[in-house]
Amino acid sequence: MNINLYDGFLLPFLQMLLLAAFAPMVSGIIKKTKALLQNRRGADIMQDYYDLRKWWKKKTIISPYTGFVFMLAPFMYLLSTMLAAFLLPNMMSNLTFGDIFVFVGLLAIGRFFMALSSFDAASAFGGMGGSREVYIATCVEPVMLLAALAAILKSGSTSIYTMAMNSGTQLNVAVVLACIAFFILLLAENGRIPVDNPDTHLELTMIHECMLLEYSGRLLAVIHLASMIKNMLFIVLFSLIFFPIDLHLVIKVIITAIAIAVMESLNNKMRLFKVRAYLLATGGLLLLAIVAQ
Amino acid sequence: MIKVKSTGLRGAANVCSHNGRNPLTAMFACDETVLGQGYAIYCLFEDCHAHDIQVVRAQFEMDEELKYESLTPLFPAAAWYEREIFDMFGIEPLNHPDLRPLVLHESYPEGFYPLRKKVAVDANIHGEREFKIATAQGEGLFEVAVGPIHAGIIEPGHFRFSQAGEAILQLDAKLFYTHRGIEKAVEGKTVDEALFIVERICGACSIANTLSFCQAVEKLSEKSVPRRAWVIRTCLAELERLYNHVGDTGNLCAGVGFTVPNNIGARLKELLMRCNEQVAGNRFLRGMIVPGGVLFDIDEEKRNVIASTLDTVEKEYERLVQILSEQDGFLNRVKNTGIVLKKTATDLSMVGVGARASGFSRDSRKDLAYGIYPELSFDVITEQAGDVYARLLVREKEVRESIKLVRQILELINSEDNSGLRAADLTYRAEEGSWGISESARGSDLHWVMLDKNQKIYRLFVRSASYPNWPALPVALHGEIIPDFPLVNKSFELCYACLDR
Repeated sequence: MNINLYDGFLLPFLQMLLLAAFAPMVSGIIKKTKALLQNRRGADIMQDYYDLRKWWKKKTIISPYTGFVFMLAPFMYLLSTMLAAFLLPNMMSNLTFGDIFVFVGLLAIGRFFMALSSFDAASAFGGMGGSREVYIATCVEPVMLLAALAAILKSGSTSIYTMAMNSGTQLNVAVVLACIAFFILLLAENGRIPVDNPDTHLELTMIHECMLLEYSGRLLAVIHLASMIKNMLFIVLFSLIFFPIDLHLVIKVIITAIAIAVMESLNNKMRLFKVRAYLLATGGLLLLAIVAQ
Repeated sequence: MIKVKSTGLRGAANVCSHNGRNPLTAMFACDETVLGQGYAIYCLFEDCHAHDIQVVRAQFEMDEELKYESLTPLFPAAAWYEREIFDMFGIEPLNHPDLRPLVLHESYPEGFYPLRKKVAVDANIHGEREFKIATAQGEGLFEVAVGPIHAGIIEPGHFRFSQAGEAILQLDAKLFYTHRGIEKAVEGKTVDEALFIVERICGACSIANTLSFCQAVEKLSEKSVPRRAWVIRTCLAELERLYNHVGDTGNLCAGVGFTVPNNIGARLKELLMRCNEQVAGNRFLRGMIVPGGVLFDIDEEKRNVIASTLDTVEKEYERLVQILSEQDGFLNRVKNTGIVLKKTATDLSMVGVGARASGFSRDSRKDLAYGIYPELSFDVITEQAGDVYARLLVREKEVRESIKLVRQILELINSEDNSGLRAADLTYRAEEGSWGISESARGSDLHWVMLDKNQKIYRLFVRSASYPNWPALPVALHGEIIPDFPLVNKSFELCYACLDR
């Protein structure tokens, strides 16, 4: 395969930066929609950019009980997420090297480092958050691979690009089932209701936020940016492969963001130990989708 | 009142409680050395059949050693009262199962008993004492410390969870962080001066506290409160219960991240509080109730505001109730979570929603039948399950009852003759104790007042609704997982300021 520097590196790199740049805005759209659904005016759509700037300006306080992992983890999290963004199919050229297994693996690396850093400061909350995050990951990852399998069987390739090209323009049972299942995965993977509550500060119920409690200043900004990019990645992936109607990508992303906000407003957080059954049911949906193909 | 020697307290209390049938409503001490009598411990038992409170007074002689046989083994509800009496007066209950400090934290010196009369109100104290928190030890167990500073806008309280993974083995709470010494501060003040302080013990129970205090002092006076004043007082009390219950219904949803109902609740509460502002000139209905009656009338214009607000709130609240009853995910969280058994509720003498949701039918409006409540028609709502859902259901149904009550009262104000708003120039009998009670949204608020010869407050004791319910929280959490704590906590809607009086 002949890949030149421009198509093989520069364009994906540019796209990766673009994704990162727009990630806080998508997060802002979700928050704004949620606020409107709650009869609130809500913060500006650009609020997440302001928050990132605020954290960037603030002093970073590092607990003396932490080791090098604590410093390393936010950057590993950002780096792995950015690399995953690099693998998404390129809208500007038609390169096919983005592999779904590499994609899932990269995200797992990011999560591994975050879970590691969570108990580095030896606070009870961090350990609690880390253990919950890993518990949910053990539920999410097999189902995610099942979702990948559904897409692989359909497109005959593990390349995200090929999957996106073969995504369902024709509406059938398999497409709808896979769409619902991946949407649930998207909510679970990104710490959204009903699995986790991204807006809560009730220490005892948090999962993702629990792991970040010891972070402040720039390190916190890095983690939040990485989380927003990860959220964005999943929305884009959903739009590319599982979105059942053929529309422009930007419109699909906005519709998905609004759908997330609506889902989060319609539901409440479930009991922690129910997450297993919830994702098992999602796996069942995916199996049905595979069979229906 | 039954008067006994300190050694006879246990026996007298046992008789007065009718073997535990009459719940222990409150227990407190009073330093009567200035009156030449030594210390006294008062035990109040609620006699529901006689619609009265039985008072047992145990007297310590001037030079007697301040020790007595603890009541806690007989009445678990006495545990906190006896700890507080030991903290505040240094009267030691013998054989108390858990006599750790309750109110006074580490910064107080040993042997400092603030409610003794010889301690000055502005005493400058430095000290150190041990404040032990109960924890569990063992292989693989760990502790989670939460607070006293929380991530939300709530009052300070420290919770120590002993955990086995996500499961809660034990919870110990350290409360009373912002104790204001109100009971000490009002000593030596006139009734009218004290009223301003009493009104501000707690924001959400402003009317209930004022009403209890006023009833207590009015019993010491010869004059009676005009009927019209009682009608207006009842209206205010129900408006207060209403806005609390509506807000609390919404708040419960925040415990499970259910944002839309949470915000509907907040909006409806806001409507009711704006209505309060138009009725009383402030959102907490302060400045209306005074000893002898009320200061201001509720005229026709205000009645119309109340009536139209009730119509709006009633309609929208039913929608909120419907959302909550139809959401499976929500019901899954609230059912069978945080169960308080009826036995626990009666043992701890719980009050309010917490008691009624566990099948312990207790409502001071019916049991003690104060004011014009006997004339009004309303039901005491009870549920049997004792879980979070039962407490929610009780609240939802009580909102309907309160709306019904306010509407009845609005009719009464309409048809009322002009019996006056206030009996003026009250004089009070000195050196005689007197109690007053009223039902707040959280349960009954009890005040006990005693005046000295100069018509100044000699002793004020406040037992707010949250006081007997706080100890039920750790019990409700047995066998639960730690992420359910915020939900269970919110279902009780316990108040910190009510303890920090």
